[in-house]
Amino acid sequence: MAHSDSAAIVQITDEEIDHICEEFGNREGAVVQILQTIQEKYGYVPAEILERVGDDLGIPHSKMFGVLTFYSQFYREPRGKFILKVCVGTACHVRGAGLLVDKIKENLNVEEGENTEDMLFTLEPVSCLGSCALAPMAMVNGNTYGKLSGDKMVEILRQIKDESSAEPVSEATPAS
Amino acid sequence: MATQTVEEMAAGLFHDVAIPTIHIGMATCGLAAGARSIEELVVKELEKRGIDARIVPTGCIGMCHNEPLVDITMPGKYRVSYRNVKALIIPQIFDAHFVKGEFAKKYAVCQIPIAGHTAYEGLPLMAETGFFKGQVKIVSSRCGLIDPSSIDDYIATNGYKALRKMLTEMTPEIVIDEMTKSGLRGRGGGGFYTGLKWKLTRQSPGEEKYVVCNADEGDPGAFMDRSILEGDPHSVLEGMLAAAYAIGNAKKGYIYCRAEYPLAIKRLRKAIDDARERNFLGDNILGTDFSFDITIKEGAGAYVCGEETALLASLMGERGMPWPKPPFPAQKGVWGKPTVINNVETLGNVGHIILSGGDWYASYGSEKTKGTKTFALTGSIKNSGLIEVPAGTPLRSIVFDIGGGMLEKKIPFKAAQLGGPSGGCIPVTGLDTPVDFENVIAAGAIMGSGGIVIMDEASCIVDTAKFFLKFTQDESCGECTPCRVGSKIMLEILTRITEGKGQEGDLDELIRLSMYVKSNSLCGLGAAAPNPVLSTIRYFREEFEAHIRDKHCPGTVCANLIKYVVIEEDCTTCGLCEPVCPTGSVTWDKGEVAHINLETCIRCKACVDACKFRAII
Repeated sequence: MAHSDSAAIVQITDEEIDHICEEFGNREGAVVQILQTIQEKYGYVPAEILERVGDDLGIPHSKMFGVLTFYSQFYREPRGKFILKVCVGTACHVRGAGLLVDKIKENLNVEEGENTEDMLFTLEPVSCLGSCALAPMAMVNGNTYGKLSGDKMVEILRQIKDESSAEPVSEATPAS
Repeated sequence: MATQTVEEMAAGLFHDVAIPTIHIGMATCGLAAGARSIEELVVKELEKRGIDARIVPTGCIGMCHNEPLVDITMPGKYRVSYRNVKALIIPQIFDAHFVKGEFAKKYAVCQIPIAGHTAYEGLPLMAETGFFKGQVKIVSSRCGLIDPSSIDDYIATNGYKALRKMLTEMTPEIVIDEMTKSGLRGRGGGGFYTGLKWKLTRQSPGEEKYVVCNADEGDPGAFMDRSILEGDPHSVLEGMLAAAYAIGNAKKGYIYCRAEYPLAIKRLRKAIDDARERNFLGDNILGTDFSFDITIKEGAGAYVCGEETALLASLMGERGMPWPKPPFPAQKGVWGKPTVINNVETLGNVGHIILSGGDWYASYGSEKTKGTKTFALTGSIKNSGLIEVPAGTPLRSIVFDIGGGMLEKKIPFKAAQLGGPSGGCIPVTGLDTPVDFENVIAAGAIMGSGGIVIMDEASCIVDTAKFFLKFTQDESCGECTPCRVGSKIMLEILTRITEGKGQEGDLDELIRLSMYVKSNSLCGLGAAAPNPVLSTIRYFREEFEAHIRDKHCPGTVCANLIKYVVIEEDCTTCGLCEPVCPTGSVTWDKGEVAHINLETCIRCKACVDACKFRAII
């Protein structure tokens, strides 16, 4: 399973990090994109990697930490294989997104922002996914689901679990 | 020169096409409604019947409530639009078109005219349906009609004609003049005159200048920019090209797009690659000495980055914190160089204005807000979706004509929330407000970027105010104290009120804090954060007081303040409410009116939802 423990991260060599930084010309202005690239590859940005990027770009560790923690998209801890982005924006809120989140919490035994014990899911309420006409909605690894109810959501989670246990290495493909 | 009509535009897309065309709405909204599996079914059905047809994905035509949408265009005929397409009805639609040579009346919503093609009888034209009647589509005119990943579709619908015209016939000064004449104002909500912004940036001394497109659409309940980026990405590139040409010395542009819009980013990437290949971007564009290229920068999740100076800070790899103005971006922007920063919708309008003239654009709209504005119409409304109307259209017409009225007929309109977390609520008495920059502000809200969320009597005003304040409080970057601390205290008071612990004097304290945060915050986020609170207290003071004094939530939303009761007269003694209660608090016997035990009731609302007669409130 991808990004399931920090053991996987140890395999990232300093050379790989240097290589990513070089791809962006070691420019200070590209720090957000460099961190995005690292996170895309490894699922999160571990502290030691953050420091290495800082060293490569000549940015103090304090500033690197400041940038990383400013943006809600960056993670300092490993996350689940499937990220459940549940929209709690205005339109979804009006149509009962709160109940949807409660249902997921109950079904997966997980709190907001946390991973499930098996590291399969991470629950992440987000402000607005921009498909308000289909409220309440959610996005799982880039796939969008609209007009959800608690029961519909539970069914989707069950399907993902089933498919995931059938073919453990497959990643869900983002919507295109 | 008038802009292309829908008919002429559509005709360009069917030039030399001798086989049927099937358009499928594949914007985020369509995909969320299941468009991907509909596409698979359509492909299978075509194979089964041995029909040769082309399948074309499109962006969002605006009718999000009707997704998934499938359009069928037979050679020489108008394009027929089908709504809420499900697996079972695809064979019926195919039978109608491919066997009987007609259309499937039961599922068709309208037909889209194509110049040179013929109409079907007995099916309204798109412009005649309630949803489209009051709309004027300029910036969204291609959305839903063309294949957004095809540069040829864009070119066939007048695309890059404005660029050619500009480079061959117009000086940068004339381009700025046309923009000034058009009266176009920043569509992200700021409302600054685009022509003036370009002029100021042109006048700023500098050998190196930049153009930035603000695609960090962050207001919850707003998706206008997403629809344009997903449905017509080239129009944004063409707008940026015009800005670069007008300000001079600009060789590079950035599109700062929020990462929550993966499809928009994908479409933009493709559009930029295709435009480079045809030399609409890159060096010596169309053989002139004008060179310009565009890079996409993905946001990393921070609402405040929609504020222009915070966006520029983020673009340069910093924490996305705003800086005090001046200096304005027109003087010192990206890397300290003069920078024009425009929103997606603003840029999307530019090509149309250059092609058809500033006077033409200014012929739409109201006195001080020219042209059209797109809105994301959502909430408790029948036709939710993306609309574009002339500025100054009354709110009533947006809600009840285009929007088709309330989602549930029995529950009346309570308020329209305009402008997202920086906006406010307009009540029934404000329904005749013309929706433009000035009039909406006078009514206590802002036009903002264009989110309109309709609320019915079953929603709670205090909860709504709390919702928006929680959002801005979360997103406050923490740089200045009034916003960071002020919004937190305000949120604590509002939370207290919704939990039934409100005190006398809370409202006065909220107003006092609001005024303080408004006038002392560093950037627009803090200055506007109290708006949702102030506007709701202004119009719905009684509802706040009901929460504070009577410990009662009239909209039955705040869980601690709800006492569900069964209305005896309305109860049909059907018993549907009894089995759904998770705590066994609803008791019912055959032929008897149900009863709710408030001691054990957890206010989950299951019985209310189960009751078909609205006998539980």
